Amino acid sequence: MAKMINRALLKYHISKLTTLNHQLSFLEAYLEIILNAKQTKKDKTLMEMKKRHSEILEPLMMKAGIHSDNVETKKQDLIDQINKKYHWHFKALSQSKKRAMKKQASSDKINHFADKEAKMHQKQEEALQSLALRYTKDENNIAMHQSNYEINKTKLEQKYLTKQTKLDQKFALDTIKIKKNYSDRIERIKKAIEDERPLLKKYAKGLESATEIPQDVILRLENLNMRFGGLLAVDNLSFDVKKGEIFGLIGPNGAGKTTIFNCITRFYRPTSGLMLFRKNPVEVIHLNDYPVHNIIKQGIVRTFQNVELIWELSILDNLLVAAHTTYRSGFFGQLLHMPKLKREEEVMRSKALGILETMGLLQYQYMIPYGLPYGILKKVELARTLMANPKLIILDEPAAGLNDLETENLAHIIKKIRDDYQATIFLVEHDMGLVMDICDTVCAISFGKMLAIGTPTEIQNNPLVRSAYLGEES
Amino acid sequence: MLNNIIYLVLGIFVSYFLIDFIFFRKHSKRPILRTRLINILIMLAILISFYLVVKEMSVYLFLQIFLLNIVDLCVLALATTGIVLIFKTSVTTNFAQGTMATFGAFAAAKQLLRLSATTEYSMTTKLIMVMGVAALTSFLIGLFIDLAIIRRGRNVNAVGKQMITMGLVLILFGFMPLVFGTTPLTIEAFSYDVKIFNIGEMMLILPTHNYYVLLITIGLLGLLFLALRFTKWGLGVRATASNETVASMMGVNTRLITAMSWAIAGALGGVAAFLYAPVGAQITSTFMTPVQVNSFLSAVLGGFSTFGGPLVGALLINMFQSMASFINSVWANVIVYTLVLFLVLAKPLGLFGKKTAKKV
Amino acid sequence: MSILTVYLKAFLKSIQKLSKHPYFGFIVFGVVLLIVQLMNLSGLVTPTLMKTLILVMIYSIISLGFALLLGYAGLASLGTAGFVGLGTYFIGHFSGTLGYPFIVTLVISLIGAIVLGVIVGFISLRIEGLYLGIITLGLSEIMKEVFKSFSAFTNGVNGLSFRNFALFGQPVSDLTVNLLIIFVFIIMILATLNIIKSPTGRALLAMKNSDSAAQSMGISLLKYRLLAFVLATIYAVIAGILYMANQKFSIPTTWSLDFSLNILAAVIVGGAQSITGIILGTFMIFGLNLAILQNIPFFQNNPDAVWIINGLLIILVIMFYPGGLIRLFQAIKYSIISRYKKIKHAWRVYRYGEDD
Repeated sequence: MAKMINRALLKYHISKLTTLNHQLSFLEAYLEIILNAKQTKKDKTLMEMKKRHSEILEPLMMKAGIHSDNVETKKQDLIDQINKKYHWHFKALSQSKKRAMKKQASSDKINHFADKEAKMHQKQEEALQSLALRYTKDENNIAMHQSNYEINKTKLEQKYLTKQTKLDQKFALDTIKIKKNYSDRIERIKKAIEDERPLLKKYAKGLESATEIPQDVILRLENLNMRFGGLLAVDNLSFDVKKGEIFGLIGPNGAGKTTIFNCITRFYRPTSGLMLFRKNPVEVIHLNDYPVHNIIKQGIVRTFQNVELIWELSILDNLLVAAHTTYRSGFFGQLLHMPKLKREEEVMRSKALGILETMGLLQYQYMIPYGLPYGILKKVELARTLMANPKLIILDEPAAGLNDLETENLAHIIKKIRDDYQATIFLVEHDMGLVMDICDTVCAISFGKMLAIGTPTEIQNNPLVRSAYLGEES
Repeated sequence: MLNNIIYLVLGIFVSYFLIDFIFFRKHSKRPILRTRLINILIMLAILISFYLVVKEMSVYLFLQIFLLNIVDLCVLALATTGIVLIFKTSVTTNFAQGTMATFGAFAAAKQLLRLSATTEYSMTTKLIMVMGVAALTSFLIGLFIDLAIIRRGRNVNAVGKQMITMGLVLILFGFMPLVFGTTPLTIEAFSYDVKIFNIGEMMLILPTHNYYVLLITIGLLGLLFLALRFTKWGLGVRATASNETVASMMGVNTRLITAMSWAIAGALGGVAAFLYAPVGAQITSTFMTPVQVNSFLSAVLGGFSTFGGPLVGALLINMFQSMASFINSVWANVIVYTLVLFLVLAKPLGLFGKKTAKKV
Repeated sequence: MSILTVYLKAFLKSIQKLSKHPYFGFIVFGVVLLIVQLMNLSGLVTPTLMKTLILVMIYSIISLGFALLLGYAGLASLGTAGFVGLGTYFIGHFSGTLGYPFIVTLVISLIGAIVLGVIVGFISLRIEGLYLGIITLGLSEIMKEVFKSFSAFTNGVNGLSFRNFALFGQPVSDLTVNLLIIFVFIIMILATLNIIKSPTGRALLAMKNSDSAAQSMGISLLKYRLLAFVLATIYAVIAGILYMANQKFSIPTTWSLDFSLNILAAVIVGGAQSITGIILGTFMIFGLNLAILQNIPFFQNNPDAVWIINGLLIILVIMFYPGGLIRLFQAIKYSIISRYKKIKHAWRVYRYGEDD
């Protein structure tokens, strides 16, 4: 009885701690987003000001004969601009002349064109000369120009500096203000977390023996059976998946691999057997107790054999759907678009963009998945699993339909996800190259029965596995 | 009376949950057992309630009401078969079935009006000729609809096709007054006589019109079922129903089969409307709507996966209706629809539906 | 003078900034409707047009709710008419016959809508796709029969009339009712916009596209199916209340299959996923007939011929523009833009000659 109460209390405190941690990470992420936005705005203003100032200063510099590469290129640009403008004028003129010739107009008119052309040439010359005048060294009054330049330069620099200090001050003030707004809450949450920890330890102490599976095991299947009518799809299967490893499940077609996945993610109800999942260091749950839509909250996310994306939403929104369980705003908050929802959306969006960037999918963010190549869709599905802070990612044939290069890339990405997100990866795959390359442990099954479990090399040399794949040797 | 039935339904609910909880909780084949239990309990419920009601209203009255309502049953059976035929080949529930049929009835009534001047033929001959007109008109309309619209909308999804048929309802509604005028027309019954016969001590009355209607319906449906069972077209329909793409790849002319299904469904509807018209008193553009609704419900009740199931559904709905109107004539329809709703909730794919597993 | 231009420029700039807000267009639309209402007072707009607009607004509210159901949750329901009818009878009975205050009626109606929505939602969990349409049709028939038979509540087949609509203890004029309808209409649009742009909207779409993906992403089918139906019924009941306030009469035959089909047609024709499209579709189905076609002699002589246009619209839209008429307008817009580019190119060739 006492144990049960203890366990209930532990459960309560763990959920409280998770909520607090979530709030903390959310607030920190949002703070970062706001500050980043302010910083970029400030930088942009200053950049624009600098550009304006340099435009004023350049002709003065040239006049004073102070040499600079920048000014030379600027001058060349301006000359090009004038030339281009007159090039089009001449082209238009020649076109109308051609038309006039075609219509066999009077010689007066054709002469008129010649006049016009001459005038245009003159104008171009004038423009170029005036430009040269502006940009050439004025030998006679060089001292005057130099002093003029110096004065202007100091004036503008001062202006820039004052603006910069002003903006910096404003930014610092804003930062302090915003941080102060949030720091109270962050501190409160941090303190609550600190308060929570010893309690957790206290309750966990008595229960250490009660946690059924070893600390380094994240998922354990015990005597799992799944029966469809007369067919025994999974036959008394037991194995452990260790924390932080890449676990591969292989087997010939119809061996029951996807059925096992469907049992773990609760799409199917297993006929008998236990599925234990380590939700966190002190809590082990029975997956059978949770409905299918609550599995993601426990930290298990899956992909599908045939890509199941939301075809009417953009790639970015597809990722946001996977963050559904992490939203804390209620329905009325969403109905009225409360500021809390806006904040949450911003945080999730930046998180999704970050994930898309690491996967190299950023250029697809506003596209709908319909019509994109299969390799991209598979990657999007993988990216989607990362939105929900998973502890165990279940991949159902991630390399199906990919070419060799894409598969190689995928292997790299899977390893990177394991390292960056500290997630355990559990995959079914037919591509033996990929499985042998990335998996730490491989389990081979056939007709629902376990054949062998071990490192990839052990599996490769196992006679049972060979006979299952290649047929009985006679 | 009503109380008894309510107690019965409640008792069945409670016993379902109790049996499920006590006996099947630890059983490895729980889902299969559950469906079997539901089947048995539904059978029991229907039988016991029938027994209760028939005992209350006496066998004589029950049979008499059944005989008087035979036209409704036949019309319902014909319309339902049409709907199922179209569902099998085009995977859509045809909302325009009733309206297509009404078009046929209008044409028949117009033709009858034209023939009424001649004395060359007897009334029965005229009516049979006119029935041909109704069947032909609806046949052509069905054919036209398939050729003009359904064939071109092959890549539209199921719900989209359903909406196309709703659009067809509106178009046909609009055309009817333009083609046939706004004055309501009538079709006469085959005969206004009654036949009287004795079973044991009971003296039953069967209107002669009902007798003819029953014969025609049995003949038509028998022909259709034979065709489905033994002809190449019937095989094609069954192949198309199971998988259209594969059927067309195997050399089945699915286009022709779909077109013929629409046409035959139309013809069945036309005959149904023709037979229903003397009962429904006046032919208006909406006079088939109750039949339409009932035939949908009986198709859902019986399940779209077989041809026989919907017929049983039609029979059940017809009997429910006659019994419900005996219990409480004002709320009869409400009682019937609620019953059907509960039955369909218990068995979402219909009483005779087969489940196809979805792969994840 | 210069000061004026500066202010004007600043004003235009701020408008430009505001116009990027998703609410902007709809609020402007509401203001235009208000102006039309005021023009009606001064006799500049014919009363027929105003009546049509008000009716289209009421029907648009139903369509919005139905579009959430069909376009977002992917649930085809044919029970709309019954829900709207229920709304009319709620206000007609409680506010009209019994004389309860409006707020009480509103609360009762909302509770009724929620209960009904939950019931239909539970049904939708067991029955899917085409079957759901038929079963909701059956439900609508049940409700119609109840309206016909339950005379104490609905006054039976003779129909229920409604006179004294009172808000805050004061009987209100027709003008106030119209203003109220415009206000509620805009509020409903904004609420719909918020819902479809929030996680709820995405969850509904996810459910429509793939049940299994939605479930594995933590979206409970039970919760969101119920939510979709409850929202649709609430919209329908509110529209029913407004209908009764405006038309002052409700009869069971109005709330039959035709009405549900027309609402469905409106949503499909306009485009089930765009709010502008839904309003456009509702106008095409209901407004076009009342405002424009009734003035043409052919349709005056054959009032039923209007159905042909509606039916043709539905079929053509489903076969050629599955996204609705709004897609057609988008296509026209893009074609105009490309045409403009072509003309510009031709002009350049004329003026400057071919590119070297």
